[in-house]
Amino acid sequence: MESRQPLLRMEQIDKQFPGVHALDHVDFELYEGEVHVLLGENGAGKSTLMKILSGSLPKDEGRILIRGQEIHHLTPERAQELGIGMVYQELSLIPALTVAENIFLGQWPKTRLGVVDWPQIMRQAEESLANLGVHINPRLEVRQLDVAEQQLTEIARVLTRRPQILLLDEPTSALSDTERGRLFEIIDRLRGRGVGIVYISHHLAEVPLVGQRVTVLRDGHLIGTLPVEEADEDALVNMMVGRQLAEQFPKESAKIGDLALRVEDFSVDGIIHDLSFELRQGEILGIFGLMGAGQVELARGIFGLMPHSSGHIYVNSQEVNIRHPTDAIKHGLGLLTRDRREGLVPMLSIPPNITLANVSQHPPFSLLNLRSEAETAATYRRELRIQTPSLDRAVLFLSGGNQQKVVLSRWLASGSKILIFDEPTRGIDVGAKAEVFALMNHLTEGGVGIIMISSEMPEILAMADRILVMKDGQFTAEYQVGEATQEQLLLSAS
Amino acid sequence: MTEDPTSSTETSTSQVDETAETGSRRLSRTGRGLLLRGGPFLALVLLAAYLTSASPYFFTPGNLANVTRQSSITAILAVGQTFVILTAGIDLSVGAIAALAASVSAVLMTQRIEVVGLAFGPVNFWLGFLIALLVGMLCGMLNGLIITRGRIPDFIATLGTLTTLRGIALLVTGGLPVPSHLTATELKGYLPAPMIWMGSGGILGIPVAALIALGVGLLGWFILRYTALGRAIYAVGGNQEAARVSGISVDRTKVAVYTLAGLLAGLAGVILAGRLNSANALMADAENLRSIAAVVIGGTNLFGGEGGVIGSLIGALIMGVLANGLNLLNVSAFWQRVIQGAVIVVVVIFDQWRRRRFVDI
Repeated sequence: MESRQPLLRMEQIDKQFPGVHALDHVDFELYEGEVHVLLGENGAGKSTLMKILSGSLPKDEGRILIRGQEIHHLTPERAQELGIGMVYQELSLIPALTVAENIFLGQWPKTRLGVVDWPQIMRQAEESLANLGVHINPRLEVRQLDVAEQQLTEIARVLTRRPQILLLDEPTSALSDTERGRLFEIIDRLRGRGVGIVYISHHLAEVPLVGQRVTVLRDGHLIGTLPVEEADEDALVNMMVGRQLAEQFPKESAKIGDLALRVEDFSVDGIIHDLSFELRQGEILGIFGLMGAGQVELARGIFGLMPHSSGHIYVNSQEVNIRHPTDAIKHGLGLLTRDRREGLVPMLSIPPNITLANVSQHPPFSLLNLRSEAETAATYRRELRIQTPSLDRAVLFLSGGNQQKVVLSRWLASGSKILIFDEPTRGIDVGAKAEVFALMNHLTEGGVGIIMISSEMPEILAMADRILVMKDGQFTAEYQVGEATQEQLLLSAS
Repeated sequence: MTEDPTSSTETSTSQVDETAETGSRRLSRTGRGLLLRGGPFLALVLLAAYLTSASPYFFTPGNLANVTRQSSITAILAVGQTFVILTAGIDLSVGAIAALAASVSAVLMTQRIEVVGLAFGPVNFWLGFLIALLVGMLCGMLNGLIITRGRIPDFIATLGTLTTLRGIALLVTGGLPVPSHLTATELKGYLPAPMIWMGSGGILGIPVAALIALGVGLLGWFILRYTALGRAIYAVGGNQEAARVSGISVDRTKVAVYTLAGLLAGLAGVILAGRLNSANALMADAENLRSIAAVVIGGTNLFGGEGGVIGSLIGALIMGVLANGLNLLNVSAFWQRVIQGAVIVVVVIFDQWRRRRFVDI
């Protein structure tokens, strides 16, 4: 392999942002027909490197060579001409346009008369989607699709441009296992055609499934490049965080106490049907399911963000009526939303974000106590180790893990005894994940009951005292701690 | 209060600090801070300094009283508008509400009318004043309910009520100015004295209207900074979904801000009618846009969640000083419009540039 000329060579790439050395003289190579996995915690520099390669960010220093030719002044247009295609982590589709229009955005085929050739567009869009092995009607508007379908549309769009170098930034974050499998098949096929692929991922387990080589970045430095055969998970985690993680999942069983929450015959119209379950104090109840099994609706329904069509909710054996989150908060519930952006007010600083659920319980013209608010925030900053130069910093500027801690602080401050964690580790890095798990342990020790909704099998198997598996809005299986395996969970869920 | 115009909340302060850290490196830190945080105040000072040198009449007590009196209507409306814009809404109907409230109260204070067979009025000033405030509040609440219950955009809802309320005001006044020669009774063509005092009177040479505007501004600042409602307003404008998850009733918060904006429009209407000694259905026509311009010039984000009332007061003063200065410099009324419009656009471009610097870290 080494004797061939690389398809892409990035030499000593350096990039500084005010206050941050985002990339410190990083080398990166990609060969034809190779999938090169790029790993690193959030902020390690992966996305910066890819943005430089796709022309959307200028580099400060270094050289970029494609097939041995040095490329100067890379712009997004130039990158496209050179056959560099990028699938972004954040979806960049236009919701009000159809799937077909999105796929051909900016390069609509024209008829001889110079007008857009719609039959041609529909035919080609259908073809490119079928190539991906998915059945999406190209006439649908993108906003009617679910997240997985949108992600596949995005991939289809990039592939129609026949890239020679394909950059995939966490392409599987919204995909189900079958869809993920199909994507891997497509990647294999592209590899066969000689396309070079850079694959950015958070899922360590995916590395041996897709890649031939893996490069790890940390804090803007190149830590190393390994063939996948030599890269076991422990070694990779080690390289990514720079320290031995004693245990990724530090589960400590707390004392299981009295009944905290009982849900009976709970239904949300057309999505979940007659669910019943119990949660005890100090217990972590895992709810596992594939995408769209109804976990989101269950969480939102119980918390009053979504109307439920029938069912009863009992907190501490008392029936409660939850029509709005304010009712849920009053009865000691808290929700960490799947998308952290739904939980934070980005421009507000840390203290008001922490006290928001308390403030909302007061009458409109009641006075705020800004001093005690700052003290509360300082306490949680210390206890939860929220890392920030100052409490006055807008939460927008905190890392994912620290934002998650701010949301958690809010529910602790409002006295929540029942917490719903909806995908608590989504989009946060390995180090912060371990910290979130440690906090969950700490909470259960204090008698808090936790409903942990997750589609990450290793973490739910490690952390939950009991696991309920959900499929099509119903529970299909229940496992006690230590009983279940990944295979069983998958089988019950699909 | 004036040395720190946009930091009426922790939000904008921290945001501006961030901008200062990550923005252009060419400016010194303090220069940059002043440019970004004190922008509107700096603009006001520069404008006033220029006018002082350009016209001997500008910096005289009489003219300054005149400017603040004229700015006070815009300022009061801008305070209500700030509340609305902070929740990421917009109220195009404040001018119409002011006109309706002024018309209704002026009619009641000057005429004897019959409502379903009962003879009524003319009422005294205080009752009329109260009714004006009530009319304003109800109109504002109506806006809020249409927006939240009808689930339609603020822009459309208030565009509709703007037209409707002007129509009602025309019905109430019969299309005539009030009081008019045809209908004036015992007051002989004058509105009640306290109303005229509110509009054109003064205390120790300071216009009453300006003092009221200042009071309203301070009250607005206090509500935003120190009450649960204020916090809810920033949360709803900053991230509606997060506000809801945290137990804030988004709908109730929205109804509250429109109701407050309506109440203040009622107050502004009474003051304006007092200043003109006349109310009519088409008064305060330009005030919708002037109040929005004042809020934006004052540094409040049109998309909600950041900004504050003090900046809006300064924005209103900038609009007032600009209009006054152009008059003093004998700029034609046609050119005045061109210049005022251009100033709004330039200020918003600057504001957007500042925010982009802040997002692109």
